[in-house]
Amino acid sequence: MKYTKFVNLLVFLLALLLPGLMAPVLAQDQAAEQALLKPNPANWPTYSGSYDARRYSELKQVTTANAAQLQAKWTYHMAGMKELETVPLVVNGVMYVSQFNRIDALDARSGNVIWKYQRGPVSTAWQRGTAIYGNKLYLVTSDSHLLALDARNGAVIWDVKSDGGMVLAGGAPLVAHGKVIVSGNRPDGFIQAYDAETGKYIWTWSPIPKQGDPALASWGGAPPNGMPIWVSGSYDPEQKLIFYGTGQPEPQWVGKQRPGDDLYGDCMVALDVDTGKLKWYFQYTPHDTHDYDALEMPVLVDRVFQGQPRKLLLQANRNGYYYVLDRTTGKFLVGAPFVSRIDWATGLDANGKAIIAQGHDPSVKGTVTCPSTAGATNWPSPTYNPQTNYFYVVIAEGCGVNTVVSSAPGAGGGYAESANAPWQAYVIALDAFTGKKMWSYQAVRSNHYGPGLVSTAGGIVFAPEQFGQVTVLDAKSGKPLWHYNTGDLITASPITYSVDGRQYFAIASNTNVFAFGLPDAPSGAKP
Amino acid sequence: MRRTALLACLLLVSAAAPGFSQPAAPNPFFGNAQAVEQGAEIYGKTCTACHGASGGAGEIAPAIVSGVQTDRRTDAQILATIRNGVPGTPMTAFTGKIADDDILRLAAYLHALRGTAIDNPSPGNVAAGEQIFFGKGQCASCHMIGGRGALTAPDLGNIAGVRKTASIMDALTKPEHHIYGDGGSHLASLPPMDTWLPAHVTTADGKTFNGVLMNEDSYSVQIMGDDQQLHLFDRSRLRRFVVEPKSRMPTDYDKKLTPDEFRDLMAFLTRQGMKPQPERGGESN
Repeated sequence: MKYTKFVNLLVFLLALLLPGLMAPVLAQDQAAEQALLKPNPANWPTYSGSYDARRYSELKQVTTANAAQLQAKWTYHMAGMKELETVPLVVNGVMYVSQFNRIDALDARSGNVIWKYQRGPVSTAWQRGTAIYGNKLYLVTSDSHLLALDARNGAVIWDVKSDGGMVLAGGAPLVAHGKVIVSGNRPDGFIQAYDAETGKYIWTWSPIPKQGDPALASWGGAPPNGMPIWVSGSYDPEQKLIFYGTGQPEPQWVGKQRPGDDLYGDCMVALDVDTGKLKWYFQYTPHDTHDYDALEMPVLVDRVFQGQPRKLLLQANRNGYYYVLDRTTGKFLVGAPFVSRIDWATGLDANGKAIIAQGHDPSVKGTVTCPSTAGATNWPSPTYNPQTNYFYVVIAEGCGVNTVVSSAPGAGGGYAESANAPWQAYVIALDAFTGKKMWSYQAVRSNHYGPGLVSTAGGIVFAPEQFGQVTVLDAKSGKPLWHYNTGDLITASPITYSVDGRQYFAIASNTNVFAFGLPDAPSGAKP
Repeated sequence: MRRTALLACLLLVSAAAPGFSQPAAPNPFFGNAQAVEQGAEIYGKTCTACHGASGGAGEIAPAIVSGVQTDRRTDAQILATIRNGVPGTPMTAFTGKIADDDILRLAAYLHALRGTAIDNPSPGNVAAGEQIFFGKGQCASCHMIGGRGALTAPDLGNIAGVRKTASIMDALTKPEHHIYGDGGSHLASLPPMDTWLPAHVTTADGKTFNGVLMNEDSYSVQIMGDDQQLHLFDRSRLRRFVVEPKSRMPTDYDKKLTPDEFRDLMAFLTRQGMKPQPERGGESN
């Protein structure tokens, strides 16, 4: 006790003395920092709109009352691309749409192109977005360079090769506390930080436990492998912690070669943004043999929970359970299934650890498991609405068949839809703090890899469907208010923004970006 | 003469640059069962993680083999892709990483996976099979070939170009013959439904329609009526909309036809269509 007080005092004194040395953020970047810490609701300045990844907007020009009047405002064709998963950014009326090696800057009111940056070669590999900090846009290339472009004209400010030759993946970079955070899958999962101003390499964290880390024992003597990290994370500026999900351990489909929980696979990890040191982890799927990557977006909410104020982390996991964690400690608070069939686990114990059911390992003949490897949900982002306290997420009911090609070590495998439990996508609303299902909207024909969501202060959820429909749902009831057929598959998350006092929604649909808004003159009114 | 010289020169260039895409000699392992099996093993170790089991697409890479054969890449193009990779994507060049004989075995395995019935038509009396299709088999009461027949089941004019022999056989004989794609597959565009399930509609004003479901989305329904006409509906204006879980397709043809008749029908069906063609420009003007 006494000792703790002394340490606290010491920390306090150091904090008084050192801010000038500790703060990596220079004075001229204060505006850039503030633009991310307290985003103007007119902008959509990060992959998730804000650090807490709620994908909730204060914009309320479009409401439950007038959503039926929405109309397409413009379409922009991303020539040469396919299956866009990218989430555009919008800052001060300019939209930035990215792919590997490419950013197109558009007038967000008209879709008219302002500048294009294309570095060789053209790549159509899946990529999910860019990041902005002041006048710098950060772009990951297919040859694992990180670039800073000038957001005003697309000029290259700096270009650095990833440290250690790591292969950068398509997840959108995250700028936090003056650093650009990127991630990847190969040679194994990793997260890296670079100085946002200069591109200088700062740190690497990997879910591969190092020698001396007790987590190494969770592999039963096998060398740790895999655990890819291919989706962006969220950030808590107060704790200076970033939160990222990690992917499945490898070999992917054969578990007997890696007996144990296989840490830090399928985990949520909290890392110090300045050092990359692991503060805590929570493993959703121990000893995964079904590729239940935990890469679904972590959503941050502060709230009095079970009688005490808590900093929470919400995640609907690919494994079929919805989790509420304390994001200061990683402590498990709530876990509840959000799909009707889960059979890989018999339930969660008091600490939230899944109790693995026997007989579900992939086999040569095929093993039926629910949910399927495609996931009860997947990387497309959910949204949390503080008005309703609902957590909205696109889910897929159904089961899968997991196969391995042989019983040989390292044998490949795969998964398919179960003929007896076909996949069907829904948008659902959960009570964010109990996981109770409040309503469900069926996206007819959509079955998996659906799009993400946005919710707004106008009481609506903007909910595109995998099979091309863009639908606006009443946030309270799930009732559809408006829809539009984009004519192509949607596998991206939508955004909302405002320019000149007009609210827009935008979404990528296969090779196009669509923007929607209310009619120029309100319906029925004289111009 | 000049032409020969040019060709020789091209061959020399090709030989000097093994990674170069060239009109290569036919793969010696095509149709060699043992090599195909070895190719499958190599595929499992090398390709499944990205392309999924049996080339049906994984999370990282697209399908090499589609359930429905819409992919027009040639064997030579696929071989070149394995050897040279695709710059700017995670698809690396395998030349030097796998022995070239094994690359050829892998290509032979993919060729076997990609082949359709028309590559190896079934034996039998084709003319007799045609008579069964339009007669005793009653296939044409739902299906169409060459403009003859009905519209409430898939047109079979190119069935042998898009399906494998085993798949056609399964459709005729097995209750559970629906072909599901690999779970990781990323669709390239919005497909119509190909389930052909019986559908029954009653509109708000009391009219009833029976037929098969052509497509639906969250707001609309498209049906091919038993009257052989298309009927398009707004979902919100339907009083009743029921889709039966099983198709009308009989699956006992191996029992209701004699073995010879069944053989002849297979001989006819496995010749309907054309081989998948590589993408090629048409005459525009």
